[in-house]
Formats: sequence, C-alpha cells, structure tokens
Amino acid sequence: MAVGPASIARPAPTTGRPLSLRGVLEREGVFSWAMLAPGVLFLLAFVAYPFFYGIFLSFQDRRVASPGTFVGLANFVALAQDPVFWQVARNTFIYTIAATALKMVGGLGMALVMNQQFRGKNLARAFLLLPFIVPTVLSTVAWMWILDPTFSVINWSLLHSGLMTQTFSWLGNATLAMVSIIAVNTWRGLPFYGITLLAGLQTISPDLYEAAAMDGATLAQRFWHITIPVLKPVLVIVTMFSVIFTFSDFQLVYILTHGGPANATHLFATYAFDIGMSAGVLGMGAAVALAMLPPLALLIVALTLYLRRE
Amino acid sequence: MVGGKGLGGRTLRLYLPLGFFLVAMLFPFYWMAITSIKPNRELYSQKIMPLVVHQPTLKHYVDLFADTNFLTWTYNTMLVASVTTVISLVLGVMIAYPLARMNFPGAAVVAIGVAATYLVPQPLLFIPMADIINTLHLGDTLSAVMLTYPTLLIPFCAWLLMGYFKSVPRELEEAARIDGASRFQAMTRVVLPLCTPGLLSAGIFAFTLAQNEFLYALIFLTKSAVRTVPVGAITELIRGDVFYWGQLMAAALLGSVPVAIIYSFFVDYYVAGLTAGSVKS
Amino acid sequence: MTTRREFLAGTLAAAGAAALTPRSSGAAPKSMSVVHESSFIKPFDDFFVKTLAPEYEKLTGIKMNYEPVSVGGMLTRLTTMAETKSGPEITATGINWPHLFDNSLVDVTDVAGEIGKKLGGWHEIVQDVVVVNKKWKALPWGNIGQLENYRTDWFKEVGVTKFPETWEDLLAAGRLLKKKGHPFGFELGHGFGDNHGWLYPLLWSYGGREVDRDGKTVLIDSSETAAAVDFCRRFFKETMLEDVLGWTDVNNNKAFLGEQISCTNNASSILVVAKRDFPEIGKVTDHALNPHGPKGRFHVLNAQSHAIMTYASDVKAAKDFLRWLYDDKQLSRWLIAGDAYYAPFLHAYDNHAMWNPEPRYMPYKEALKTSRYHAWPGPVGHAASESVAKYVLVDMFAKACRGDSTKDVIATAAGQLKQIYKTKV
Repeated sequence: MAVGPASIARPAPTTGRPLSLRGVLEREGVFSWAMLAPGVLFLLAFVAYPFFYGIFLSFQDRRVASPGTFVGLANFVALAQDPVFWQVARNTFIYTIAATALKMVGGLGMALVMNQQFRGKNLARAFLLLPFIVPTVLSTVAWMWILDPTFSVINWSLLHSGLMTQTFSWLGNATLAMVSIIAVNTWRGLPFYGITLLAGLQTISPDLYEAAAMDGATLAQRFWHITIPVLKPVLVIVTMFSVIFTFSDFQLVYILTHGGPANATHLFATYAFDIGMSAGVLGMGAAVALAMLPPLALLIVALTLYLRRE
Repeated sequence: MVGGKGLGGRTLRLYLPLGFFLVAMLFPFYWMAITSIKPNRELYSQKIMPLVVHQPTLKHYVDLFADTNFLTWTYNTMLVASVTTVISLVLGVMIAYPLARMNFPGAAVVAIGVAATYLVPQPLLFIPMADIINTLHLGDTLSAVMLTYPTLLIPFCAWLLMGYFKSVPRELEEAARIDGASRFQAMTRVVLPLCTPGLLSAGIFAFTLAQNEFLYALIFLTKSAVRTVPVGAITELIRGDVFYWGQLMAAALLGSVPVAIIYSFFVDYYVAGLTAGSVKS
Repeated sequence: MTTRREFLAGTLAAAGAAALTPRSSGAAPKSMSVVHESSFIKPFDDFFVKTLAPEYEKLTGIKMNYEPVSVGGMLTRLTTMAETKSGPEITATGINWPHLFDNSLVDVTDVAGEIGKKLGGWHEIVQDVVVVNKKWKALPWGNIGQLENYRTDWFKEVGVTKFPETWEDLLAAGRLLKKKGHPFGFELGHGFGDNHGWLYPLLWSYGGREVDRDGKTVLIDSSETAAAVDFCRRFFKETMLEDVLGWTDVNNNKAFLGEQISCTNNASSILVVAKRDFPEIGKVTDHALNPHGPKGRFHVLNAQSHAIMTYASDVKAAKDFLRWLYDDKQLSRWLIAGDAYYAPFLHAYDNHAMWNPEPRYMPYKEALKTSRYHAWPGPVGHAASESVAKYVLVDMFAKACRGDSTKDVIATAAGQLKQIYKTKV
C-alpha cells in the first residue's frame, strides 16, 4: 500500500468493502496491532527473551566457556546465605531511597527557582542540565579528585580556612563512602527532576496563585494546595523512572569505589557484574540480577497504586 | 511572595538559590576544565590551590586527538545515539499511538507488558544479552549496541508520547478521516505534527541516555575502533593503574559541552514536551 | 516513502543473507591474529607490530595482526571469544585463565617442551597456572610482579637505609614516617592488583591459607590467619591514612606521585611514570621485595602467557608461530623492548643483560622464586576466581582494619569460602 505525496483527499473506504486490504487495515483492531507489532516484537526479542533466558541461567551452575548444569534454586539459596548479598541489598535500598528523596526535594527547589523570569534563563537551564548530559563515567572520574582526602577542593578549603584540622576520608570511611555516592548520584540526577518539575510548574497559571492570595491563603497553603497537587502526577512518574535508574545504577560505583570499602558501596549491579564477568560464574550473576526484581516491582507497584488513587 | 517584592526579596528568592544551584551543579565542570589544561606536575602538587592553573597547556587536548581514537569514538557515539534515537522514536510512536488513542482487543495486556519492560533494568539483562549478542556474532560491532540500546529507550519514549498523544483532541483526527484520510495518514499528517515538541523531547532524552550508556558498551565493544566515548575513555585513557587525568577531563568536556549547547536551543521544546507528557498522562 | 512492509521485508532479507553467508575456512592461513592486553609499556606493543610481525611475514608469508585490548578488558574479550568460538587464533592469558578456559584452549605441551629445552627450562611455579590436567594450555612470556615501591630519601631521613626485611620492621619504619607526614599507602579496597599484591603475601607469610591443596577443606580459620589479621590492623592504624580502605588500583599511584605516601605495593608503573613525568621523584624511588613474615616471604604471580584457541583453523600454523616467537632471538629482543617490565619464566634469562639498564627492576626478577598464584595452595580454577572476584581476602583484612574483631572477620571469610568451594573446582 504505497502512500504517496498525494493529498489527503482520497475516497474513503466504505464499510461495504471489508475485504479490500485498505479496508482491513482501517479497522481499529487491525491497525492497532499492525502498528504495535514491530515494537512489541522488538521488545519481545530483546527484553522478554533475555529476561526469561536470565531466569533460565539463574537456575544453572553455568561458568564461562563451560556448559551449564541445572541446579534449581541452589544459586538463590547460596545468595540467601551470603552476607555480602544482604549487605548489597541494604546498600542499594539506602542508596536509592536517600538519593531519590534528595533529588525530589532539590529538584523541586531548582524548579521553583527556575520558574521565575530573569535574563539568561535559557542558558542557565541548559547549563544546569550538564550533570545529566555529561557521560557519567567521566564526571565520576572528576569526582574521584574532588573526593580525594588530600587533593579534594572541599578538604583543601576546609583545611586552609581553618575550619577543620583533619581531613575527611570521603571514600575510605564506610559511612562517608555511602554519603559520597549518594551525593554524586544526587548531583547527577537532580537536573532531570528539576527540569521535569519545572515543566509541571509552568502549567500552573499565575492567576491561580493571585486569586488564592487574595482569598487570604498563606505561602505555605498556596504551595500545598495548588503547587503540589498539580505536580503530583509528574512527580510520581519522574520518581518511578528515577527509582528504577538509581536502583540499577552501575557506572558511578564501578568507577568511584568498585563496591569498596569492604562492600560498603556495593550495589546489585556491581555485585552481579563482579560475579558474572570477573569470576565467570554466569549462573549466580544472573541470580543476583534477578534478585533485584521483587523489591523493584514492589516499589513500582506501590507508586502506581498511589497514582491511581488520585 | 517570599521576602517581599524588593531587591532584597528578589535576592532571597532568586539570586541566592540560583547561585547555589549553579555553583553546586557546575563546580565539577569548572574543576574538569581546569584539569584539562593543567600540566601533570601542577595536578599532583599538594601545595598549589587546586582551583587555579599557573601554566595552562593544551597538551592534553593534543594528546587526546593524536594518541587516541577519540575522534573515532565520538563519531561512533554520535552515530549510535542518532540511530538508536530514531529507532526508539519510530517504535515508540508505533507503540504509543494505538495504546493512547485506540480501542482494541488485547490493549490492556500490551499496556501492562510495555509497562513491565520499564521495570526490567539493565543489570538484569546484560548477562543473557551478552550470550545472545555472542550467538548472533555481533560482538564488537556497532550493531550490537544499536540493537540493545533501544531496549532502554523505547519504554520512556512510549510513555512520554502516550501522554502527548492523549492530549490531541479526537475531533481533529476524525475530521481528517472524514476528508478521506486513512488512519495512518491521520496519524502522520495531523497528530504527529502537533506532537512535535513531544517527539523532540523524547528524542533529546533518548539521545542523552544513549550517549551516556556504559555497561553494554563495556561488554560488547572491546575493540578500540568500535568503541563509544564513555567506554573508550575509561578503558584507554587508563592504562592499568595510571589514569591520564588531563585527557580524561578533556574528553569529558568535549563530549558534553556540544550536547549542552544543542540542548540550549531545544530546551524549550524539551520542557514543553515533558509538560504534556507527564501532566496529562 | 517506504511502507512498513517494505522495511520489514528488507530487514528480513538482510538478516537471512547474513545468516547464510558461509564463514571462510581456509587451509594455510594468509593471516592470523594475536589479541593482547595492551602493554603498559607502549614500545612493547610497537615492537610486535613494527618489527616482529613484518619479520614473520617475510619468513612465512603469513601476516600477523596484533589486536590490543585495554587493560582489564582482556577477560571480557576472551569470554566473548570462547563463547562465540570465533575471533583471534592466539590470545594472551593471565592469572588463572588457562584453567578457566581449559575447554577452549589447545594443548601446547609439545611446544612448551621444546622451548623449555632450548631456554634452560621453565620456572616451577608458573606451571601451576598454565598446566591443566598435565597438559600445557599456555606459554608464559613474563610475570607482572607486585613489589614494594618506596621513597629512598624519606626512609633515609628516619634512619632506614636498606628496605626492612620483616613486616614488623616495616611497621616500625612506617610509624616513624607517618609522624613525619609521610605515611604508607597500601591498597585495601576493591582494586585488582595492588591489594592482592600484598594481602595474599601477608597471609601466606604468616602461615595462613585459604583452602588446602585439594580445595576440600577451608583453612582460613587458624591462629596463623589471626596473627596476620592482627598485624594488618596495627599496620593500618599506625602507618596509613583511612582513605586506603576505599582505594582502587589508581589511588596509590596518584598518592605516591603526589608525594602523599612513602611506600606502597605496586607493579613498576609508578617508577615508569615517575621517570617520564616527575624525574625528581623518580630519582628517589626504588623497589624491594615484600617483607618476610614468620613463615616466609611471598609474592603474587601474574603470568602473562599465549594460548591457542581450539577454533583456530590451522592450529599447526599457530604453534609454528609461537615456536618462532619464543625462540631466544625473538623473545629476548621483545622483552628488552618492554624495558624489563615483564620477568620471564625461563631460566636462560635469569641473568640476562636486559636487567642491566635499570637495576631497580631486578627485585621483580628476584620475586619470581617466591611468587604464588592467588588462592595458593588451593586448586587453580573457578573457585579461586570467585574468591578473588568477591574480594573475600581483601574484605577480611579491610574490615579488621576499620575495627571489626578478628574473630568476626575470619568467620565471615570462612563462611564465604565454604560456600564458594563447595561448588566444584
């Protein structure tokens, strides 16, 4: 069915000729499926299939360059008894929740600020997006120096201004290391929140605020009863994506600490990588990765239910 | 209004927080820029204030272009990002349009299925994906990443476009069909043009994600000539335990600043696209 | 404007054509490929490409392609090659990979025998990692050693003119140096080389072991291990900065060249970079063997070797090439081009002239006698790799250093090892 540059005006297929190809394709169901088919097939081939293959792998003792043997749930049992695995789970949750909360609050702040008029606004908006645009692995390399105890600008400034006598070990101390990766992740992801929430803010007409103000609403009341409700759907969707990305984060930790010190910053993704690629134990690597799914699904279902309630 | 209407208020509401955000977000870039022109001996010196360069040099940039495949990597990255963005937009449109505007049997199943693919994160797929790519003998080809990146990008494009498609009134489409257009024509000539900001916005986001991707590129692209900037820089500007910091930072800046400039032109569309997409979904 | 159908048809056709294209399988190869982890010493790679390969081509007509893979990417590349059964015919291997990829590598016992006979015999220790089930699967060309790198000037300032012989002596020196603002910096984080480079030797030198020779008994829970852990904790507290707990391989190089630390465990990369970029630091940098513990002196083994993939179309041609490469005429020139970065495993080179230009690399040669593979004396296989990739040993020491009790950290490590070694070797 060649659709040429001819005008839109062509005799419409009437319902009296259902057997013509054009007629068939015009039917809602057929058209829809014809449109969906390529995308759905692609996702089936490249997402669904690897996903089920991954499940299959996780039930095997499969090492690199060797055939696998079926072992049922043995990999998962081993993981349940692996203290590192539980540490990794704890780390990933803390990392995701803390970073998401910070990004949400920070992003909202950024959006509120950027929602005002000032010269150079477009340029500012573009540059504020930079942390999100620059390839993460490269900006993380920069952070290695910013967090270095001797060369860190933070530490240098603190020391030389006399505020501190000792430097912090941002990447050597277990707690500070987690703080550091949360900070870097927040830095990287905040612009995404900021710009998206800004979009939401811009749909609110200033008249609404003025009317409310004239009715005597305080700043806080205007914020909670006008701003937040409009932003809520945006917020939930953005948070959903952010949670998925943060929960499965790999690059940042791989470059900065590779899971150290002593597994304090190891996440599901980095642990799965070490086991699967460095040790060549593909079956267990797949099991670690699969173990991510239940908690992630729970988080998302919770968010979706919350959204539907509104 | 916070702080009142005067300059003091404006400072409190605007300049102070704006300044804070600009410094917090851009400070690392300042550091990256400084490091890319700092000679090694200054970089390693504890005595010098790290934020200042005494004897700037362009050596790192020269070395980056002369000694490495940086230009090749940049070309690969742009090619891969562009191709995967186009693929993802096309497939995203084709998925989003029926889900947003049509009634048909199985719609709910497909919607849930597509939503489920949002949930499947990359680390879950990379091991089986490596097996598949190896079986297809696509290892070390750009096709490997061109086929795998859309798995990350299509879900977002589809979600965003669904929101935008839903916002176009049915009457416009029906009017076109009454005039004799097929559904396909109605889509391409009426609805899609109205959703250009959404398409641009989805495209920009997809492009950003694609040029930032690391894990699949790390696993599938092991030959220098086919590498993208992130994985090329990390694996080749690092020889064993020696990092070529100056070159790494030069690569970071050269890789991101042009994209940021492009962003500054499209940022209005990006924002507008996200508005319709998220608020109305 | 192509319709969807045309687009789909085109794609299917292309895919079909690709699937049906026969892969060429020749008799005598016109060319072969060698894949290598790119050398830290660039002239080493260049020598192969610019000198050795053309010589071989003139000799036999076979073009040798050299494919460098970035450091750290070799394992991934080899994994891909083994799984897809395609790629370069000859590959570099390291650590215990000949055991991991045993099924994919050709038996080269015959070639090994010939080379050994001509060049004074192979060092015993390397055979553990390249001989699998009595068959040679790879031919080692050199070791990348991990030794003590230290600042001679600062050590002299505190009265130490010869590098300390025992761990306790080193600790004493470190105590003095830390007071002077020149602490030590030994990696205790999740790097790969510079942590194992001293932690395995530390464990072994106190008599500690991970598992026994047959991999059936986990031996880490012992008084010897406890002694090593206790020493490590004191060593960390009294001589180092807290930051080392999070260090990966690059940090100690950075710290040494930034004059933050006076001593660390590293390959010779620090000296190489110092000589090139920081000559004043280079003048006062030297190498020494790992110190003695109560039960001996040890180093880690990282033997770089060549192996032939089983899918190679002409195994004989590959073997012939390796025979030629490992002839003294070629091998010694190549090793010299590498600036003695690699310590060869053939006794003929024990007193070779290549060590003379930079005598500070000699300790790397000395260290060969006492080098052991990771997870020694246990079996060299998948379990060893898993233990290393999971940082079992490193984390044990690191957690002790940050304050956990010796009993706890050993118990955790023992639990991990029991889970790892219960699976087949």
